[in-house]
Amino acid sequence: MVAGQSGSGEDPWTRGAAGVTVAKTLTRSQPDPLRRRAAAVRWAILVGLVVVLEAATRTGLVDRTLMVPPSEILARLISIVPTGQFGADAVRTITTILVAFAVGLVLGIPLGVVLWRIPAAGRILEPFIVTGYAMPTLLFYPVLLAVMGLNAGPIILIAASMSLVPIALTTMVALNSIKPILHKLANSVNASPSQYYVKVLLPAATPLVFPGVKLGFIYAVIGTVAMEFILAAQGIGFRAGFYYRELNTADMWAYIAVVVVLSVLVNSILTWLEKRIRRDML
Amino acid sequence: MNQMPTMPSTKQEHDVVFENIGMTFQTAAGATQAVANVTGSIPEHKFVSIIGPSGCGKSTLLDMVGGLLKPTQGSVSIDGEAVTAPRRDTAMVFQEDSTLHWRSVLDNVAFGLEVKGVPKDERHERARKMIELVGLRQFEDHRPGQLSGGMKQRVAIARAMAMEPRVLLMDEPFGALDQQTRQFIGRELLRIWEKTRNRVLFITHDIQEAVYLSDEVWVMSARPSVVKEVVKIDLPRPRPEGTHALPRFRELEDHLWSLVKVEAEKTLGPGAQLA
Repeated sequence: MVAGQSGSGEDPWTRGAAGVTVAKTLTRSQPDPLRRRAAAVRWAILVGLVVVLEAATRTGLVDRTLMVPPSEILARLISIVPTGQFGADAVRTITTILVAFAVGLVLGIPLGVVLWRIPAAGRILEPFIVTGYAMPTLLFYPVLLAVMGLNAGPIILIAASMSLVPIALTTMVALNSIKPILHKLANSVNASPSQYYVKVLLPAATPLVFPGVKLGFIYAVIGTVAMEFILAAQGIGFRAGFYYRELNTADMWAYIAVVVVLSVLVNSILTWLEKRIRRDML
Repeated sequence: MNQMPTMPSTKQEHDVVFENIGMTFQTAAGATQAVANVTGSIPEHKFVSIIGPSGCGKSTLLDMVGGLLKPTQGSVSIDGEAVTAPRRDTAMVFQEDSTLHWRSVLDNVAFGLEVKGVPKDERHERARKMIELVGLRQFEDHRPGQLSGGMKQRVAIARAMAMEPRVLLMDEPFGALDQQTRQFIGRELLRIWEKTRNRVLFITHDIQEAVYLSDEVWVMSARPSVVKEVVKIDLPRPRPEGTHALPRFRELEDHLWSLVKVEAEKTLGPGAQLA
């Protein structure tokens, strides 16, 4: 932590004739030509890959039992999406993800606060949490299924526990990295504990907690879809696994495509949100 | 705002009073006495600066007036009441950037009032007045990230001033700024202070700044520090730009320098090269 970083040298502020100060011009990251070119190349690669896949599958270079042509996947997708079954699967998966993420958030943030607030708790619990990070929790899934039954419960439990870890850890780290001067400021104006949390700690930590929250959401998605794939009665992951076991490659890929689209969508929303939140930091 | 002239107040109950205060910190290496037996008072409407060698406990003294630290010996009182916690009528400005990066300049300046429970309309009105005074009117809706270091410090000053404190505590507020900015903001501070005339306790390393701003300069000794000498700054107010060139200004500066030099040598060792 650097103290007294209100740097003077790199902060040019010019003074006009009348002593009027002029702020340094605000430079916000604009879509520069380099970035635009990178995006163009990225899309070209994507389209190229699809074309190569199409060619490879059509010529028989890749066996039909492994992969069907992307055009066929798209056709399957178009016929699957309007069905009631797909709607039910999508609703089930999305609700499970959202519930798991909400549980991760509601438990993870207070846990992070406790780890920060009580350093002893941090020292004692951190190894457990880090182990939770490294451990494939999905191994507990069969046991949970036996205990809780074949419903969304075990999936939510596993996905939530995966989601909770990065949220709790980044919350702790974010609170630890708040400039000491802000604590002193809150103290000097005699802020009450709730004012201290709501008006200082929470907003100060938010931009730093966000990457953890984002990761938590991604883990909720991975946890949910993976558990559904292993064993479930409903859901997009279940359906992909079902067609996999049925050797119905086209439909399996159609459901995989749905997961890919969902992931990209979720990630875009989170990135957009993050940018909005970080804008204040400049 | 009271427009009272500078009158030497003798009534102790209207002062900020240090009564034989001392501060001893317990560290792993044992007890360190930072401040020893400081006695003195800041009368109403007075601007008092404290100068002294690094680590002489200047900030410690200020934190004790602000209620952030409890002296281990003696007591600090404001208007006859002992300071035990941060008071509603004191406000602090720190050396480091203490602006809240997620708030606009307006909401930063209104922060102290917000914590005190002043309703939104009123606190915005009072904050706007202060923003106007520190010359940041066009930047009301800007975020601190869009401001220079000097402007952020003016936000911090405005935040403290908006609380209309009876005692303003400033801990090297211009310490992180370049010389030009520092002089300019110093003049601005004085211009604003002429209107409010609240008591100010100002910590600085800069002798010229101390002479220019203050009614009294307290020179502190090296650790364990005591107030070695109180130098009255008898320059007339208001102090226009040419003040620095007055012969009396030079005299006071030289006198203070000679006092500080002795203490600095104690800290750094005899014969230390002092710029």
